[in-house]
Amino acid sequence: MVEHAGGWIGASLLRKEDARHLLGAGAFVADLKLRGLRDVAFVRSDVAHGVLTAVHKPDDAATRVFTAEDLAWVNVLEAGPELAAFRSGPYPPFASGKVRYVGQPVAACVAQNRAHAEDLAERVSVEIDALPAVIDCVDALAPDAARLFDGWPDNAFITSRVTEGDPASLAAAPIRLHRRLRMNRQATVSLECRGIVAHYDARLDELVIHLSTQGPHVMRRGFAMALGLPEHKIRVIAPDVGGGFGGKNRMMPEELAIAAIAMKVPYPVRWIEDRREHLIASVHAREHVYDLTISADTSGVLLGIEGDVFVDAGAYALWPSGPFMETSMAARNLPGPYRIRHLDIRTHTVATNKAPLGPYRGVGRPGACFAIERLVDEVAHALGREPIDIRRLNMVTSAELPYDTAGGLRFDTGDYPAALETAIERIGFSAVRARQKTGEPDGRVIGVGIAFYSEQSGHGMAEWTKRKSRVVPGYESARVRMLPDGSVVIHVGVQNHGQGHETSLAQIAAHELGLDPDRISIRYGDTATAPFGFGTFASRSIVFSGGAVARSCRMIVEKLRLIGAHLLQATPDAVRIEHGRVLSATGSVSFAEIAAAASIRQELLPDGVEPLLEVVSTYEPTDSRGVFSYGTHAAVVAVEPETGEVEILDYVVAEDCGTMINPLIVDGQIQGGIAQGIGTALYEEIPFSDLGQPLATTFADYMVPGASEIPAVDIAHACTPALVTEYGVKGMGEGGAIAPPAALANAIADAFRDIGVRIDETPLTPRRVSDAVAAARSAHAAQPSEAAS
Amino acid sequence: MRTITLSVNGEDLTVTVEPRESLADVLRERLDLTGTHLGCEHGVCGACTIEVDGKATRACLILAVMAEGRRITTIEGLRDDPVAAVLRRHFHEQHALQCGFCTPGMLIMARDLLNRSTPSSEKDVREGLAGQMCRCTGYAGIVRAVLAAADETTSTRSPTP
Amino acid sequence: MKPAPFDYVRAKSLGEALAALGDDAMPLAGGQSLLPLLGLRMASARLLVDIGHLDELRQSSATDATVTLGAAVTHAEIEDGRVPDPGHGLMRSIARKLAYRAVRNQGTIGGSVAMADPAADWPACLVALGATARIAGPDGERRVAVTDLIEDIYTTSLVPGEIIVSFDIPRLHAAAKTGTAKVMRKTGAFAMSFVVAVLHDGDQADRIVLAGAGRRAERLAETSDAVAAGMDEAALRAAVAADLAGLMDAPDDYAVRLHTAVVLRALAEARRS
Ligand SMILES: Cc1cc2nc3c(=O)[nH]c(=O)nc-3n(C[C@H](O)[C@H](O)[C@H](O)COP(=O)(O)OP(=O)(O)OC[C@H]3O[C@@H](n4cnc5c(N)ncnc54)[C@H](O)[C@@H]3O)c2cc1C
Ligand code: FES
Ligand code: FES
Repeated sequence: MVEHAGGWIGASLLRKEDARHLLGAGAFVADLKLRGLRDVAFVRSDVAHGVLTAVHKPDDAATRVFTAEDLAWVNVLEAGPELAAFRSGPYPPFASGKVRYVGQPVAACVAQNRAHAEDLAERVSVEIDALPAVIDCVDALAPDAARLFDGWPDNAFITSRVTEGDPASLAAAPIRLHRRLRMNRQATVSLECRGIVAHYDARLDELVIHLSTQGPHVMRRGFAMALGLPEHKIRVIAPDVGGGFGGKNRMMPEELAIAAIAMKVPYPVRWIEDRREHLIASVHAREHVYDLTISADTSGVLLGIEGDVFVDAGAYALWPSGPFMETSMAARNLPGPYRIRHLDIRTHTVATNKAPLGPYRGVGRPGACFAIERLVDEVAHALGREPIDIRRLNMVTSAELPYDTAGGLRFDTGDYPAALETAIERIGFSAVRARQKTGEPDGRVIGVGIAFYSEQSGHGMAEWTKRKSRVVPGYESARVRMLPDGSVVIHVGVQNHGQGHETSLAQIAAHELGLDPDRISIRYGDTATAPFGFGTFASRSIVFSGGAVARSCRMIVEKLRLIGAHLLQATPDAVRIEHGRVLSATGSVSFAEIAAAASIRQELLPDGVEPLLEVVSTYEPTDSRGVFSYGTHAAVVAVEPETGEVEILDYVVAEDCGTMINPLIVDGQIQGGIAQGIGTALYEEIPFSDLGQPLATTFADYMVPGASEIPAVDIAHACTPALVTEYGVKGMGEGGAIAPPAALANAIADAFRDIGVRIDETPLTPRRVSDAVAAARSAHAAQPSEAAS
Repeated sequence: MRTITLSVNGEDLTVTVEPRESLADVLRERLDLTGTHLGCEHGVCGACTIEVDGKATRACLILAVMAEGRRITTIEGLRDDPVAAVLRRHFHEQHALQCGFCTPGMLIMARDLLNRSTPSSEKDVREGLAGQMCRCTGYAGIVRAVLAAADETTSTRSPTP
Repeated sequence: MKPAPFDYVRAKSLGEALAALGDDAMPLAGGQSLLPLLGLRMASARLLVDIGHLDELRQSSATDATVTLGAAVTHAEIEDGRVPDPGHGLMRSIARKLAYRAVRNQGTIGGSVAMADPAADWPACLVALGATARIAGPDGERRVAVTDLIEDIYTTSLVPGEIIVSFDIPRLHAAAKTGTAKVMRKTGAFAMSFVVAVLHDGDQADRIVLAGAGRRAERLAETSDAVAAGMDEAALRAAVAADLAGLMDAPDDYAVRLHTAVVLRALAEARRS
């Protein structure tokens, strides 16, 4: 082991990536300028479902318009899990035969700039014979529903079932509550939309793709398969990426089309998604319906959950994973942190005439958390008990860990009840109860809500093969290179897009190498220079990439030690490393001197030691079932019952993500995740008309919360290190986004618990809240005694 | 097409544009000033915010031809601005950025806020920045940074006329 | 999201602007509504005539009885008190909550009225204040009350070639009381419901004006009368419901709850003022 040098692990080091952005000198895809660049605008379907009968190119611009016919040579990628039961329709870059959602690309128009490309797009005429649109994912399964794909027996990509324990025993349970809950569709909304610039480099004989992506290496694989090119002839470069959140981690038709067109034209082509395209046709997220019955005994012990989970997956499966992961994660996370042993959940991953569903921060879990945490509160209300008491009674304790849930997850380390108690204390639970008794002078009603989440991260081969994933992101890689002056460049396969990897990975390297982070550069985002890696998603980077950096650095250290000892005329076990030097009892030699020897003065090397200080290694945790960060969110809201406006008065998180490499970055991820979770809970939604027209297509209709809508979150940390990762880290990028819908819905329901309000659908817009309160009030007025129970 | 002269960051630049081109597009595509970002092109997100005649303005909602004869300042023109410098330091220290896409517009608006008033409360800052979307940070670091910068610059700033 | 091609002229005078406004030409003031619509290709024009800087439209003046605001006065100029406020601070407070500062710096009061968005702030305010628009056109000048100028959703009685030059806005009586209330999905978004209440304005009738419900900002007649008559809350609620039934095709329960609450809030603020 290397001695700790200056405590880089756990330091709130300020970020290396800030400087360029603060000067406006970041380099995003749209900032790239290549000679001869042309812009692309897409012609898109304005019909949700129909037969595409003709696409007419304007005569004077036929060579600048590309349709399905022109890209017929592009291979269709098989997407979704490698499961026989999973059906998937072909998703070519341009619709052919049928259009299946509003916004589906039909043709691409190339011109000198975007405005001219849009002019051209207006002149392409598209003929579509409309078919009935499939809009509701539950109705979609009716026998007489219109079918998206001929030959499918129904509209489900896959129907599956999760059973555990003895669900039949639940029929006799004294408390059985049925609820139907709904989380509506939204977009992922990175502030930078998607974007791609592609050109064929004649000198290198390779296709160069600049792409705003979370995973350049995996995307190269997809491009290669689709375009029929060997991978060595494709270079994918991800420059600065302005947010992703899951939305930039799938092979999308527009990007495939641009890459394909670039192979056929003698100039670079660019497509920069605009916001309307983003809202209509980028990765959509979240849309779940839960039809569940929860069973409990009269003491409040939760027994089991039965029912159906519907995921509205949109029209196609996105490569690689498809939408089933969303569904299975939702189902498997339904028991939450509770000792719920009986489970019988039928899942339906349903094709509808909407843009394809993809991953978004939290994948599946915000819905599952919303469902279980709402149900727990409903059980409490039914029993006339405090929701926090029902949680205390049922929550897995630290003594029970590791704990295998009924959903098949293995909770590893932590103290879940402690997080609950911390949140209860920090939110001032009893003070809120007291305040509720006196009422608010302004007529608003106060509520407090609690929600627990857990976040699987660092899951490797065991988990991904269980999911039948066609890409198994079970490791990460790092190439560490010490240059002749002793400074270090590390190439990694993950993709920083706000997470601060240039800083946190440098801290890990600094820790292992005994070197100042200023002497270390982290590089990523170029398949030509970085070793293969899977990219940044699923809260995996700090565990996997951090582990790989640590491992490669240790290998470098061994060699530094060997060479340093030789230069000091000592034995390797008699030297130690400190502040960029190798020290023996009598002297020391700097990394610079060692690196110079290794690189340009090999006559100084010991016999049998190869030149160069360069190592590539990979890393996977010793147990690849994953490590779980977790925490409790607590919120206090004030609700105006007539208008339905909700103000968040206080928001607390008590969390534990194991060892923190950089607490500043951890807090930033939590606060940012919660802002997105609040968006899901209260603001963001893409509704659809009966004809399948998306009704929120600009930021005038799609509400992204701003600074006035998001409170500063009070964050309390505990630290139970993971047992199977380097330093005991756990991933934590998504947790913030998981619990807010549940916590806020519970808080709003709590405000009106005396009248038994039903809060069962997100986002909780003013209209939904007001309608729910009004419905409860009138039911309460009609049957006061029953509704009060 | 029409040839116009724009005063950008103190420099007169002559450029040929179509009347329909937004100032944002001309700055980015024709003048290579890519620090002005586009996040919506319809005025809501604030990523494109610049200054025109000293007033914070959506660069996506002003035509380049409208800006002829006006003083344009972009993030690139604020390298040596003292208020921007203080804001930058506090943004860095308070972790007020993650992906950095909102940052140029956020800094311009924050600077405008400080130049017009002294926001003393969190609420003032939040309202002042309500038109600047950030999808990554959840705003807490930004608000802290602007308040800290307001504190620091109160003594040096000239009061609004 | 780029507009179709158009031509652009920056008029040097009102006369030149009027002359340029031929067929398929549109005035361009702050561009804060027109440019997004053009970008989305939901509107198009052959020619934009820039009137935002014209002296005639930038001027403001005041007499004891009336404040005249040029149509190209920006929201920010009103917010900052750079022009007289006939509402004793009412217009400033409305401006402060309209959109965002960077939009307010360019957007104009005339553009807002000409746009006639049913949820916009200035139409409601100007109707409540009893403002009259001065309009220049190819056939000379005309004056029309803002309440008559705005006819329907995004529809005014302006004919092609006409330009709003200014608004004459009667000053409120010194003892007048005003209140506003607004419910938005988020800060700076267009209102779901916006109410301007003007009470005790000398011998003028009370005005409770609502935007966001009907096809344009309108004075709630029954509600305003009920307020003047000092009726209790239950009667007020009934009056609002009656007004809404006239304003909207079929107001659903939520619309009634929302707008009623916003009316009551604006009234409460006015009474406190
Ligand atoms: C993000 C955002 C949020 C907004 N939020 C709100 C809000 O909360 N409340 C609100 O009220 N508004 C809001 N607006 C709209 C804003 O107030 C606009 O500035 C205003 O509606 C239009 O004024 P303008 O000067 O920009 O007009 P322009 O966009 O230049 O023109 C609008 C229309 O009016 C015509 N026109 C302009 N001036 C005249 C004139 N003098 N005579 C005749 N016709 C004319 C134009 O031809 C055009 O048809 C928002 C705008 C944005 C971008
Ligand atoms: S790009 Fe101009 S406000 Fe969003
Ligand atoms: S830092 Fe990414 S949008 Fe603000």
